[in-house]
Amino acid sequence: MHMADALLSPAVAGTMYVASAGVAAYSIKKIREEDDNKKVPVMGVMGAFVFATQMLNFTIPGTGSSGHLCGGMLLSALLGPYAGFLTMIGVLLIQGLFFADGGLLALGANIWNMAFYGCFIGSMLIWRPMMKKGAGKAKIIAASVLGCVLTLQLGAFSVTLETLASGITELPFGIFVATMQPIHLAIGAVEGLITAAVLVFIYEARPEFLWGVGSSDTKEGKLSTKATITILAVVAAVFAGVVSLFASAFPDGLEWSMENVAGTAELEATGGIYDVMNSIQSATSFLPDYAFKNSEAVAGTSVSGLVGGIIVVALMVGISYLVRLGAKKTKSE
Amino acid sequence: MSGIEKQLREIDKLNTLQQRDQWMNRRHPLVKLCLTVVYIIFVVSCHKYQLSTMVMLAVYPFMMFNFADLSLKDAIYRMRLILPIVMAVGIFNPFMDREVVMELGNITLTGGVISMITLMLKGLYAVLSAYLLIATTTIEDICFALRRLHMPKILVTVILLIDRYIYILGQEAERIMTAYQLRAPSQKGIHYKAWGPLVGQWLIRSMERAQVVYESMTLRGYRGEFSYGKKRKLTAPDFLLLTVWLVAFVVIRKGF
Amino acid sequence: MKTGTEKEVLHIEDLSYAYEKDVPVLKHISMDAKHGESIGLIGANGVGKSTFLKLLVGLNLGYTGTLSVAHHPMNKENLNHIREHIGYVFQDSDNQLFMTTVEEDVAFGPRNYGLSEEEVEERVQEALRLTHIEELRDKHIYKLSGGEKKLASIATILALEPDIVLMDEPSVALDPRNRRHLINLLNEMEPMKLIASHDLDFILDTCERTILMWQGTIVADGPTKEILCDKKLLESHGLELPLRYYYENV
Repeated sequence: MHMADALLSPAVAGTMYVASAGVAAYSIKKIREEDDNKKVPVMGVMGAFVFATQMLNFTIPGTGSSGHLCGGMLLSALLGPYAGFLTMIGVLLIQGLFFADGGLLALGANIWNMAFYGCFIGSMLIWRPMMKKGAGKAKIIAASVLGCVLTLQLGAFSVTLETLASGITELPFGIFVATMQPIHLAIGAVEGLITAAVLVFIYEARPEFLWGVGSSDTKEGKLSTKATITILAVVAAVFAGVVSLFASAFPDGLEWSMENVAGTAELEATGGIYDVMNSIQSATSFLPDYAFKNSEAVAGTSVSGLVGGIIVVALMVGISYLVRLGAKKTKSE
Repeated sequence: MSGIEKQLREIDKLNTLQQRDQWMNRRHPLVKLCLTVVYIIFVVSCHKYQLSTMVMLAVYPFMMFNFADLSLKDAIYRMRLILPIVMAVGIFNPFMDREVVMELGNITLTGGVISMITLMLKGLYAVLSAYLLIATTTIEDICFALRRLHMPKILVTVILLIDRYIYILGQEAERIMTAYQLRAPSQKGIHYKAWGPLVGQWLIRSMERAQVVYESMTLRGYRGEFSYGKKRKLTAPDFLLLTVWLVAFVVIRKGF
Repeated sequence: MKTGTEKEVLHIEDLSYAYEKDVPVLKHISMDAKHGESIGLIGANGVGKSTFLKLLVGLNLGYTGTLSVAHHPMNKENLNHIREHIGYVFQDSDNQLFMTTVEEDVAFGPRNYGLSEEEVEERVQEALRLTHIEELRDKHIYKLSGGEKKLASIATILALEPDIVLMDEPSVALDPRNRRHLINLLNEMEPMKLIASHDLDFILDTCERTILMWQGTIVADGPTKEILCDKKLLESHGLELPLRYYYENV
């Protein structure tokens, strides 16, 4: 379910970054208030643990396929929403960097789609209310499955919204949603069952590791659960609306930000380079109708532009390859 | 070789690449991080029909791969994880958008075909440029850059700890899987009856490990704040790298 | 920090400790240790060795009796001060070494105690020199071998310039050469050492004094060579003779 950079426009990616950063800032504030030094090493090691468990294959009974663990739900059941969310950020960042699962630009979206829903919705909306009056085997299974299914549904829906808002796909909304949701329903159910199995074991072996169980833990929050639920639901709904509005208003985020933020300064600065490039072009160009064009959409499809581009790239890459060979030669000599 | 072993090797390989003493590895992490992000923004903000701009943007990853002496094959192999979703999203474009927007000799290209190609290229470039960053920059250097960008200390510390323990826990995962398969030779994955105890016990061990790590930290003066000594300064080549490419990106973007 | 060869760095009198009420883990322990001494702590599994070590570094509080480390009574107020004088080498080096490179890990302690960067650098250099691992300085920890990790974790402790070093099973999982290397290193080390181990041959090579624990109490405290030769004493407390004596006796 990792979002790829290619599927996002800068405007949508940026919006998701801002949203995720806001939740992260709030979580950090909460963690600082707890003032528990032990949380940090536990978050680090458990982050690595979630990362490592995702390498394991779990056989799904009755089918030949395998499933994986639902990290966000597991972490928030152990560490609570705030620490769980921050840990998931670390996991997603490293996953993106080490395994190219997700991407740098898509990180904000991935944090929102997986960590926010998994940790906040999963723990505040489902886990804590259900465990308020003590845990039990059936309750844990129900909470885990419900949590994983719901958070994955929300995540998949967000992936759809973000992709559509980015103007990447020609797929109609209905078809896209109708494909994404059922697939993730199945994935969510399996991940929920695996998470449930692990949490039930922990409940029986070391119940003190579970977060938010029993009556002693419920005093800490000033907000009542009902209020929290309402707020989260409203936030999620408003957010989805804002994203699509924002994205459709500024379909090309870079152009928009260049004009608004940098103003004309940038364009003036590049004026000199334009002239130089122009003269180089006119001196070397063998495609007669070649000329600089505005970055209007269709301009990008002119054949001469394409061929010229390929030649320039081949030339530059060729030079750099020779440099590489040269460097190797001098090294070996 | 098991799947886990493969992933561990991939981490190991990256670490070895990061440790190399090369020009690109020596560049300031902040410069490399910013350059990567700016490049990806340039890439993904390309209009879906802007095929020639997309082609020109190849110049950055492909040239830098040569300068940094990296293997394209390894980087392209990393496409496998995001490829399915990118494919799923892009594959229908040719059927939905049939307007002819380009003619190459006898071949006519529809908008859908072009937008599919640009989407694939976007995916490829993003993965390549991210690989360029991570294969020449250690996680601690990236964290240093993130600190310079005012990412909170607690988050940076958690990232560093995850990085530190990934390999250890990954190896544990490998041993667990091997031990399991030796006693359940015909099974591909873990049987559902073992889901809870197997992962649960491992989780408890990991929690206990976290406890010892915490003790080890407190015994060496940890009181909730982590500090890192390694400082890096921006040098002339760093500015050169950044300026040259930023100019190039703008020229490509505006010119094609 | 006062030093002197006859300085008493550890003073324990009638120390008892229980995790749960009425289930004492340690009972009426008394011992003293001087600067530069090297003491082996032996005993079968579950006799309270680890609990004892954790008490000495303040990871367990709430004991009864007297416990003073480097002349400071062990309590919450003194904890940070005491920890500057005492180092603990954990059994699993991977838990001890949590930073990315050897250098960062060795510098972690001194930096937390507020030393200037120049002083930190001096400490790091000295600790790496003492453990003979200068060449590992920039290496990533996960790339180290088991033996190198052990030396690096000792370096992280030496960088604190402690008066007391506690070690939990230092020789576990070391190959013969690394083991020999570690023995030499420990014999060169200046601070008072308390080494908990089941490897009695290792204790013979590194400690002139040995303490034998049994069910939460000290049952013998004396020269290593006498205690580890005493077949009856060892066997009645769940241990066996060190290998080198075992084969002499056969």
